[in-house]
Amino acid sequence: MTVTRVTFPSKTMDNGIILETHKLRREFGALVAVADVSIAVRAQTLHSIIGPNGAGKTTFFNLLSGNITPTSGRVLFKGRDITHLPVHRTAHLGIGRSFQITNLFPNLTVLENVRLASQALGHDSFHFLRSHRSFTRYEARAREVIEMVGLTARALAPARTLPHGDQRKLELAMILAPDPEVLLLDEPTAGMAAEQVPELISLIQRVQAGGQKTVMLVEHNMNVVMRVSDMITVMHQGEVLAEGTPDEIAANEAVQNAYLGGGVWRPVANGGK
Amino acid sequence: MPTATPSRGFAVRAWLRANTGPLIVVGLLALLPFAVALIDGQPLAEVLANQPGQAKFIQGLMIEVFILAIFALSYDLIFGITGLLSFGHAMFFAVGAYLSGIMIKSFGWSLAPTLGLLAVVAVVQALLFSVVLPRVQGVTFALVTLGIAEVFHIVIQSRELVGYTGADVGLQGVIPPAFLSPAAQRLRFYFVALGLAVLVYLLCRRFVDSPTGRVCIATRENENRALMLGYNTFYFKLTAMIISSLLASLAGFLHMLYQPIVSPGIASLSYTVNALLMVLVGGMGTLSGAPIGAAILRLLTFYFDKWFGQSSGFILGMVYVALVLFLPYGIVGTWKLRRFAWRSGWARLAQPLRPPSRDGERL
Repeated sequence: MTVTRVTFPSKTMDNGIILETHKLRREFGALVAVADVSIAVRAQTLHSIIGPNGAGKTTFFNLLSGNITPTSGRVLFKGRDITHLPVHRTAHLGIGRSFQITNLFPNLTVLENVRLASQALGHDSFHFLRSHRSFTRYEARAREVIEMVGLTARALAPARTLPHGDQRKLELAMILAPDPEVLLLDEPTAGMAAEQVPELISLIQRVQAGGQKTVMLVEHNMNVVMRVSDMITVMHQGEVLAEGTPDEIAANEAVQNAYLGGGVWRPVANGGK
Repeated sequence: MPTATPSRGFAVRAWLRANTGPLIVVGLLALLPFAVALIDGQPLAEVLANQPGQAKFIQGLMIEVFILAIFALSYDLIFGITGLLSFGHAMFFAVGAYLSGIMIKSFGWSLAPTLGLLAVVAVVQALLFSVVLPRVQGVTFALVTLGIAEVFHIVIQSRELVGYTGADVGLQGVIPPAFLSPAAQRLRFYFVALGLAVLVYLLCRRFVDSPTGRVCIATRENENRALMLGYNTFYFKLTAMIISSLLASLAGFLHMLYQPIVSPGIASLSYTVNALLMVLVGGMGTLSGAPIGAAILRLLTFYFDKWFGQSSGFILGMVYVALVLFLPYGIVGTWKLRRFAWRSGWARLAQPLRPPSRDGERL
């Protein structure tokens, strides 16, 4: 696979691009968090964004999902300009977003957290004189997803009582529940015990391959990134430093200098732990 | 799904079992006027004929509790369930009382069209409060609602409107319909007020259990996350606000029917604080706590006034402090969570007496 460079405006979806940005820029005062980033994400691939802390990865995700508005530039989803859509609208287009910091409904049960996520994109949220239990498909979907991430035993526990690793799984379940086309996962394994990471990553891979979804992943664990990604974008100080397949990134000198500390990165057998 | 649909009889039985407590309370309240008469040695026929006596007096006190319970439930919907802190809630109540009173007294309207107009105005009020919702949150929202309500509070006291509102004296001379006269038909009024309070409670429960209500709770818990999931939280807050405004107006309407004089004090901040207190004492977001809080607030105020005279306010304040210390989640909330704070409550009470430890560590 070669490096994808988008000429704007591109004939989206004809060439399999589902999400693209054009010179996306966000400034916070004098700080340029994201500096004219143009990337294109092919449908049904796993596209990772890596970069040192402060490279602008999370801000970039916030721009994609509509949490913050860009200073300039555009975001296109399937060729449609979604730059200025409010955040609750992008969810309805089929873009699911998870957070680096666990972001749940702490006092509600695991089941209710996921059920609310699956109810969000249905059109039954304005029934206020019928019990939510009579809309069984949301609960059925919630149970299905909870089973998928392996939280069935904790389904009725309040979310705040879960250990951190399980909260990350719940976070993922809430993204999966409405069955979005694009999943923006911001460090899904952050703070997880090392032995739990492969389990979660293989789940993400299964969902991506099985459901033919597009996954964008911000991740710090280089072994994971190198192993699972179809395409990697390296960000550094708000700019795109390099883009390419894992092999190309591993061989890229600029990346090695800026991010991998000058040493040559070597894949570990079996992708680490 | 393999689960069989439960039969109707089974569902009814399950509902009865799940609601044993509230059903017993409602049953006892229905028997209360007669029980009081029996204890007091008054013949039951006199109670049915609305003769004066202890039974009639207790009915009157309980009618006030039922009206306050509806008011408190309406506040719990926006404050406890949806998480909106409004300091203007008394306006909903006062509009219900004043508007219906003026329509009946000055314009000679009958009850049905008055209630219809009241419903429309209640929705308009909720919209008025909600206009600012996308712009301001938290304490700022509380202050904006306080501002709107205070304007209303001042307007109803103005001399220019004295012919309609009675200015600072209050609205008086409204003749309630004969079939619902609070004096001549006290027992009937008692059961109407009780019935409406139960109905409003069930309605609120239904709302909280509905898909819309669940999103309101999600909004309270984590509004950003609710937005990220794809809920336009504004519409859910607006829905809660409209229902709350309708219920508070109904409470105000009953208040107008029951009280011979509608005082402008019901539009003041202290009346909103009353609702807040009732919800906090009962347990915010629990719904069943709101009527309990209303009963405690009204009955304690009345009996403390009777027993302690001038120092009743001080003693009532001590009771509130004790409730906050030992039942930090309100009566129902603490009971549900089983998080009584007997020991830490005493510790917190004693804390100011102790010198602070060297590293400034607090409990």
